Amino acid sequence: MRDTLRIINELKEKGLIKDYAIGGAIAALRWVEPFFTRDLDIFIIPEKEVGEEELLLLSPIYEYLKNKGYNQWVGQWLIIEGVPVEFIPAEGLAKEALENAIEIEFDGVPTKIITPEYLIALFLKASRQKDKIKIQMLLEQAKIDMGKLEEILDRYNLSERFKIL
Amino acid sequence: MDEENIKILTKDNKIITLRELFDGKQKTHALQASLTFEEKIKILVELQKIAYSWGNKKNVIVWKL
Repeated sequence: MRDTLRIINELKEKGLIKDYAIGGAIAALRWVEPFFTRDLDIFIIPEKEVGEEELLLLSPIYEYLKNKGYNQWVGQWLIIEGVPVEFIPAEGLAKEALENAIEIEFDGVPTKIITPEYLIALFLKASRQKDKIKIQMLLEQAKIDMGKLEEILDRYNLSERFKIL
Repeated sequence: MDEENIKILTKDNKIITLRELFDGKQKTHALQASLTFEEKIKILVELQKIAYSWGNKKNVIVWKL
């Protein structure tokens, strides 16, 4: 995990991405008790956001990683230093979550992680059963700024969904 | 009888109520939530090992720390 983050940091240092933050289950795990999960979701803002045909260009990232020897794919995951990683281009709510992510260290390696309020909103948007469980865990175990959460949910039209959760 | 007041004989012959058992579980959850990120990832890797071996989920990738 330490080396995985070190490699992902390189993507930013080399100008292949503008920024990134850990999202998904691993971000939730930062704020609640440990639970089983399989992969590391990395939300990114690509350096070249949109190509000629309005395509998000992730190929420069994969090309760079391939040249470094990271070319083992398992489904949608790229294995980086023994950890299955999924790069997710951040748009809308996810982009705002990334921009408001906090800086932390993992074993001395700097990284960024999405805050609980934005995680709840993102899980609510996805609303699969496993997302609802994570929302419940976050509400019970993490310190949530309810004012901030309500403001985010309101702006992204998720308040009603939150009420019937 | 109130379900929460049902008594349980637990380790070291200690008698606790069902309510106390659940309260204890909540405290354990809170304690686990307060671990460092590094400690939590170590526990996650142990969970992945269990899923791989005990759970026979051979498609689980056990992370390298």
